[in-house]
Amino acid sequence: MTRDIALGQFVPGNGIVHRTDPRVKIILLIFFITIIFCAFNFVSLGIVTAAILTVIALSQVSFKLYFKSLKVIIFIVIITSLLNMFYGTGEPIWQFGIIKLTMSGIYRAVFVSVRIVLLILISSCLTFTTSPTDLTDAIERLMKPLKFFHVKVHEIAMMMTIALRFVPTLLEETDKIMAAQKARGADMESGGLIKKVKAMTPILIPLFVSAFRRAYDLATAMECRCYRGGEGRTRMKSLHINRLDIIGIAFSVLVLTGVVLCNVFIAPVV
Amino acid sequence: MFALRFNGNLGEINLSFISASNVKYSYEDNGPLVLNGISLKVNKGEFVALLGHNGCGKSTVAKALNALITPKEGVIYVDGMDTSDEEVTYEIRRNVGLVLQNPDNQLVASIIEEDVAFGPENLGIEPEEIRRRVDNALKAVDMYDYRTHAPHKLSGGQKQRVAIAGIIAMEPSCIVFDEPTAMLDPSGREEVMKTIKTLQQRGITIVLITHYMEEAVLADRVIVMENGEVLTKGKPEEVFSRVNLLKKHSLDVPQATELAYKLIGAGLRFSKMPLNTEECIDLLEEVLSRK
Repeated sequence: MTRDIALGQFVPGNGIVHRTDPRVKIILLIFFITIIFCAFNFVSLGIVTAAILTVIALSQVSFKLYFKSLKVIIFIVIITSLLNMFYGTGEPIWQFGIIKLTMSGIYRAVFVSVRIVLLILISSCLTFTTSPTDLTDAIERLMKPLKFFHVKVHEIAMMMTIALRFVPTLLEETDKIMAAQKARGADMESGGLIKKVKAMTPILIPLFVSAFRRAYDLATAMECRCYRGGEGRTRMKSLHINRLDIIGIAFSVLVLTGVVLCNVFIAPVV
Repeated sequence: MFALRFNGNLGEINLSFISASNVKYSYEDNGPLVLNGISLKVNKGEFVALLGHNGCGKSTVAKALNALITPKEGVIYVDGMDTSDEEVTYEIRRNVGLVLQNPDNQLVASIIEEDVAFGPENLGIEPEEIRRRVDNALKAVDMYDYRTHAPHKLSGGQKQRVAIAGIIAMEPSCIVFDEPTAMLDPSGREEVMKTIKTLQQRGITIVLITHYMEEAVLADRVIVMENGEVLTKGKPEEVFSRVNLLKKHSLDVPQATELAYKLIGAGLRFSKMPLNTEECIDLLEEVLSRK
């Protein structure tokens, strides 16, 4: 049952989005998020949407998966757009008591929902096309300048790597413990929320104990393999910026320019 | 690292790859001694099996050989290096790999090849060289085709082989296995034992800590431990022929040896002690044709 939560949900592949340097992908993600919030009229919003849909089409990941990730946030989209719809200013089109519907409210609702959807799509695109290891690796390299401020960059990245490595192992273990406790007569299905949460105790305690034991073992194994922190460590896979990455960056800059120009020449609607 | 050291007696050069003399160790100060004056030698290229009960100090020996712990008394030399010398700790750890019991808890990365690369990366080796070592190590344990897989999708035997590859990639001259098959099913156990045998053929010194007599029989030499000391040692056929001694300390002998022992007790004569089923069959045929 617990197996359904696939963290990161990496989809192996060899498309151009997959092959793009993970560092570039992370930076471009931040870049795109900024652009999404810079679109103030329909033309610029259209440009961003077209650009993101292009990236998604190029990612060679089935649209079904993207829909799946959108399903999770559909409620948030509906609620925020409803709220925005009735918070507009200006001439009301329709009024009922204090509730009034305005044109600007509708515009705002459309913008908010499109922005959230785009946000989810482009972030999913990153996790679908980048393996967890590549992600942590890229984060470690991108955060390297923070070392200057005594941030333990290598340690943070190492913790992320180990955490990701042990997610499936601990999920499997949770299943086993649940089965073992059920075999001993533990009741986990009936009762209200509080009772259900209380029923989790006999699962969490063994899980924690075993996690500590694993941690101890892992520490021994890591010491055996000469681990002594990030100092003097090399990496097997070195990352290089290649033509593909340059094209990706150029594409994003182009989109940004388009959005900025549209904002300048066309009046904003929100 | 290739320096030869004089060991006690002037003029006697210590040629063993690993030599421990009179090692004492306890986990707590003034606590019970886990290692109680143990001395042992392992030669280069040898396959030594270390047997004994739970809690007899086998795993502690494994950690001591790898400089994870240093003896409270006595010394351990690995390839001429003193394990208590902090300057050579990492050289010793590189040179003596340690494979633990639980394959799950030894793998660090979520991709096989990255996990195998972990050791060489820690050693600060050039990326191309790491790539070469990782590929070779994965081929040596026959897991090359799985190099981009995630560890949690492998079987226990496969995971343990990946753990072994992670050690091989550091190019050690000795590997200590601490009950590597204890958590595996029979087929996984077989895979791992086959891998260990091929490693020995490649000239890697093997120290195998095990519960299974069938595995100990494969070794060149067997050391039996009891209460942090060596109880008996020798070639497998010598050690397992001391059935009385082993039984007295409630240790097992291989099934074939046990059968022969009982038959001898019933009055049959065997020319030697059998260690595995095939030998036992041959010897039984010999005994039966004699009558």
